[in-house]
Amino acid sequence: MADRFAAGARVRTVHHDPTHHTRLPRYARGKRGVVIEPEGRHPLADVSAQGRGDAPVEQVYAVRFAARELWGEGEHGVVLDLWESHLEPEGD
Amino acid sequence: MARINDVGGMTGFGPIDTTDDTEPFHADWEARVFALNSALVREGVYNLDEFRDAVETMPPAQYLAASYYERWFHAIRVLLVRKGVVTAAELEARLGGGGGGDGGGGGGGESDG
Repeated sequence: MADRFAAGARVRTVHHDPTHHTRLPRYARGKRGVVIEPEGRHPLADVSAQGRGDAPVEQVYAVRFAARELWGEGEHGVVLDLWESHLEPEGD
Repeated sequence: MARINDVGGMTGFGPIDTTDDTEPFHADWEARVFALNSALVREGVYNLDEFRDAVETMPPAQYLAASYYERWFHAIRVLLVRKGVVTAAELEARLGGGGGGDGGGGGGGESDG
């Protein structure tokens, strides 16, 4: 299966609020970032954390966010490793 | 639903402690907890994501009061019972009755020395 996003793609994180484990932290939900590079395919931790054997294997991307986008201030960048399920394309 | 581990960006915790702490363990029991968890994951009793989930679902007051490896030990106990390796009663008996089962005892009788 082809990767959904390429390096340089502008993305927005989903705005979910699950009761189960998730690798998308609260401060990074619904935020805009840029894909740096794909990092390899791994079972979706949000599903495997539930003890299920049917976790989809997805591409994980390094995604850079401006600190200002996450925190409202700061001039640095923040890089998070995020599964494909947690990303949507951001219109350009 | 946010869990107690997900505090990135929350105010009030003070500055991050950036002390260069090169000692991985501060007591023998911490090294044993580390090794025990590694063995249980390697043997397929549970996976690392289930372990993280178990740490995160500690009751918030216990989580904040517990040390790093006390949280690990709590998660191991929860998962051993959940996976049917031991019963809560067996664990409690072996721990001297101070630990409790699912959700019980922040560090139980296993506090650091």
